[in-house]
Amino acid sequence: MTAAPPLLQVQGLSVRYGSVLALDGLDLEVHAGELVALLGSNGAGKSTTLRAISRLVPASAGGLFWGGRPLLPLRTEQTVKLGISHCPEGRRVLARQTVAVNLELGAWLRHDRAGVNDDLERCYSLFPRLAERRRQLAGNLSGGEQQMLAIARSLMARPTLLLLDEPSLGLAPRLVEEVMGTLADLHRNGQTLLLVEQNAEAALAIADRGLVLEAGRVVLRGSAAELRQNSGLRASYLGG
Amino acid sequence: MDTLLQILVNGISVGAVYALFALGYTLVFSVLGVINFAHGALFTLGAYLTYLGVGGAVGSNGALAGWALPLALPFPVALLLAGAGCALANLLVEAIAFRPLRRRGAEPLLYLITSLGAGVVLVNLLQIAFGAEGYALPADALGDLPPVLSLAGARIRSVQLLLLLVCAVVMAVLTVWLERSRGGRALQAVSEDAVTARLLGIDSDAMVRLSFALSGLLAGLSGGLVGLSVSIAGPYFGIVYGLKGLGVLVLGGLGSVPGALLGGLVVGLAEAAVPGDLSGLKDAVAFAFLFAILLLRPQGLLGRPPISKV
Ligand SMILES: Nc1ncnc2c1ncn2[C@@H]1O[C@H](COP(=O)(O)OP(=O)(O)OP(=O)(O)O)[C@@H](O)[C@H]1O
Ligand SMILES: [Mg+2]
Repeated sequence: MTAAPPLLQVQGLSVRYGSVLALDGLDLEVHAGELVALLGSNGAGKSTTLRAISRLVPASAGGLFWGGRPLLPLRTEQTVKLGISHCPEGRRVLARQTVAVNLELGAWLRHDRAGVNDDLERCYSLFPRLAERRRQLAGNLSGGEQQMLAIARSLMARPTLLLLDEPSLGLAPRLVEEVMGTLADLHRNGQTLLLVEQNAEAALAIADRGLVLEAGRVVLRGSAAELRQNSGLRASYLGG
Repeated sequence: MDTLLQILVNGISVGAVYALFALGYTLVFSVLGVINFAHGALFTLGAYLTYLGVGGAVGSNGALAGWALPLALPFPVALLLAGAGCALANLLVEAIAFRPLRRRGAEPLLYLITSLGAGVVLVNLLQIAFGAEGYALPADALGDLPPVLSLAGARIRSVQLLLLLVCAVVMAVLTVWLERSRGGRALQAVSEDAVTARLLGIDSDAMVRLSFALSGLLAGLSGGLVGLSVSIAGPYFGIVYGLKGLGVLVLGGLGSVPGALLGGLVVGLAEAAVPGDLSGLKDAVAFAFLFAILLLRPQGLLGRPPISKV
């Protein structure tokens, strides 16, 4: 067996917000090329996991490793430089900037102008609706369009690992399908993704593996196929 | 009674300086959501540095009595160096009065105290070094330019034209930089949503420092220009400007760049419209006018709804 270290390794990670223990000893690995789904209901600690990986919140215990290198001493900007792109909960597009400027800022750390232009075109072909609205202020886009912009902006960093926090939130079922289809395409083309979702059904339809969080602990993990069959999960998240 | 043209010229040239000065407040406010109360002191520092730069000597009451630079620089060079000095000084203010609080996630109100304290210390240092007396920049600081031009019955001092020119150029460059350049857009991104900016890889601490440096530069330039056109009344002369700049900032709409410009012009014109024999009431008129506008438009002339900050 070849023992390539996982791209991302989370070991016994705990995060506290004051007296609230939001993550309690999380173990998680993401290997290159995988699409891993992180599931769980409100307040389970999903966003906290992503915020810890991108160093927005301090860890109170445990370790984080990127290809074997410790991530904990780094600042957020440095994790982006390493290749981690975090598309945050609630889209957070820059409302006062145009679609095009939002995308350009996604490539802030890159200096290969030609490559950035190629990726801009790639984003516009991935999300044609953004191409039509490239000169519009991002704040004037619909919720679905803002979600697409947020994903596209994260892709502009050409990340090794893409962290997505509930991309389906607030989208109509048709749009959920469209966004998930895009993520599946990215995955097929070799993109590594860690996908946080409450919509377990949609996420497990495209994921390789999944974990279910409850109150900051992993209560279930397995291949996407196994999880789709799991009766407990079906009862709590898949509506029967 | 001044002609309308005279009032316009006087008002616009003073207003331009107010705008330049208020823009400095705006830059820091839009990035951090707090006001740097040391800004008026930096304005004073800019005036003194410009005075030294053009070869002025320290008066007899200061600790540095009699001291002067070995050479007299041309006014534009002295002004630029004074601006650069104030940029550095404001970086120091950021490191001492802002960064430690920011690290701890302190209440915005606390910055008011720490920055005010930094300003007071700076003014006191100036007083120790230069004494409490007033200074005037040498009359020939502008070289061979005639001191006064006449145009359609209005007396226009060449200093006023210089004020207008410098303010217009600086503001145009700053606006284009903010709107069009990579760095300017990154600064705006931090100002809109610092967390998201960091997730894009933008070093928001570096952007905060940049905004302080630019803000200090603007304070220093406006201080040097006012020193030339009026004179330096003493170490405390930045205080009135500091308050007026705040008024302009609020009037224009907190954090709005075109608002600072408009606010500066409005206050400048309001003052210039006060007849010469009532000139002691200038400040009162300016603030009364400000008060009246804010009653009608509490968010300022070009203000926008508040957004979340760092
Ligand atoms: N800034 C904060 N301060 C205090 N508590 C917090 C903070 N952020 C999150 N929490 C708490 O930490 C726990 C985990 O929150 P987290 O945002 O990670 O949940 P989540 O799984 O992403 O939930 P959701 O699906 O609703 O987004 C919750 O109990 C939440 O209330
Ligand atoms: Mg969440």
